[in-house]
Amino acid sequence: MPYTRSPVARYLPLFVAALTMLGGSVAAQADATLDKIQQRHRVVVGVLLSGGPFGSIDPMTQKPKGLNVDLAEDVARQLGAEVELVPVLPANRVQFLQQGKVDLLIANMEWTVERGEQLGFVPTPFYRVGGTAAVLKDSAITRWEDLKDQPVCTSQGSSYIKPLTGFGADIKAFKSSSESLLALRGNNCVAAVHDATLINPLVAEGPEWQNYRAISPELNPAPSVIWTRPGETDTQARLDSIVKGWHRTGWLIDAEKRHHISPPSPALVELHDKFQAAGA
Amino acid sequence: MTHLLELLVQTAARFGLNYGFLLDAYQRASLVNGALTSIALCAVTIVGSLAAGLLLASMLTSGRVWIARPARVFIEVTRNTPTLVQLYCAFLVLNMLLTQAIGTANPLTPFAWVVIVISLHKGAFHAEALRAGIEAVPAVTLEAASSLAFNSRQLLWNVQLPLALRFALPSLINNLIDLVKMTAVASAIAVGDITYASIMIWTQSDNVLELMILLLAFFGLLSFIVNCAGRALEARLRMPGYGH
Repeated sequence: MPYTRSPVARYLPLFVAALTMLGGSVAAQADATLDKIQQRHRVVVGVLLSGGPFGSIDPMTQKPKGLNVDLAEDVARQLGAEVELVPVLPANRVQFLQQGKVDLLIANMEWTVERGEQLGFVPTPFYRVGGTAAVLKDSAITRWEDLKDQPVCTSQGSSYIKPLTGFGADIKAFKSSSESLLALRGNNCVAAVHDATLINPLVAEGPEWQNYRAISPELNPAPSVIWTRPGETDTQARLDSIVKGWHRTGWLIDAEKRHHISPPSPALVELHDKFQAAGA
Repeated sequence: MTHLLELLVQTAARFGLNYGFLLDAYQRASLVNGALTSIALCAVTIVGSLAAGLLLASMLTSGRVWIARPARVFIEVTRNTPTLVQLYCAFLVLNMLLTQAIGTANPLTPFAWVVIVISLHKGAFHAEALRAGIEAVPAVTLEAASSLAFNSRQLLWNVQLPLALRFALPSLINNLIDLVKMTAVASAIAVGDITYASIMIWTQSDNVLELMILLLAFFGLLSFIVNCAGRALEARLRMPGYGH
């Protein structure tokens, strides 16, 4: 029997062509990144997988997991695209974004004035986080001022370097937080300063961390935002509505619980109330 | 001095390069400090690696299996693993174990660990270069020397090594140039070398390109100095009849 194409198959190329043109005409109105995402149906997100509830590698499946990963996947879902995760480090994440290796950064990178001038960002934050220091339980350090002239471990590119220098601390910055924390345990510094969301769960439940405690109050609490290349206002606007949606529906609060991030962030409740009131 | 620097920054700005951070006293000081640390690191590891290489080479060519075998095993293990991994292993694992064992009295600083790791790593390469030199010394020369009642240590020090050094020198200089560049791994464990200082500056502001150019120029210059010193030494040690 000779092969005959069904009507659908016959018109399929035409159909695809029409769709592509339609897609092209819609995308042409957006900025370069949103354009690219909509054309390729793929969004490349740089995520920080330095361990802890925000991002780590699952030892069983070798797959990335954590809040950063969930956020990236939901952004992709809402944009109708597939997500491609690229692990980044604090020391190279800005370059990855600038060079177009990633479209977005969901990498525990807090907003600061300098960074805001250098890159673009989604105005609504998805979290708020400050720094804390892990110190030995019997250490004499209880306040940030006590770190003056003391060796302090942190990671290269951390936003806490500036305030710590202000306290007169002797900064030892490592490639990532894992090396910094190992250096703390090797007694190369008296404290390791990182996001409270990384330190708090460690000292609360990590069996190797029972001799350590965290100090308060949080250093420089700052909003965690999604970063884009500068000037990409369409991408930012599109993502902003997604982030607002996360707050309004309480999805972020659920995600925080799901990843056992403790203590729960008061900022999330604040933002949830704010956008629910605005959206209703 | 400041005036000259300003002129330099302005000239660079005309090519679109922002070297403004050089005018900031704090950032300039940290860069200069980094450069000095890098130079110190190079100087100490060059001496350390040559000493390690000499020791390993004399063990290799001792002719006694129980001395030569451990040296061979050490060289193979050191040569065949990445320097950065060795450094992490030494600093993050060995150092932690050491601290747990002897407490806060641990005298080994990150700087010391870099010196140890790079010296041993490059020492393994030096040892192979020196072994090639030692084995290239003609048997008749050795026979002539032993007929003059040299014992084996005198033979090594007075006959074999001086000749071996001449054969091995180009290879040794090659290793040393590589060593200069290798010191950049120190930045991984927060030793304040010039690479570290640059990373600290560019993660806080947007001037990766400018700092990269500076870094490349610095290491290029340092390697060039080692290269020139090596050439000068080669010319000075030149001996008629041995390859020249």
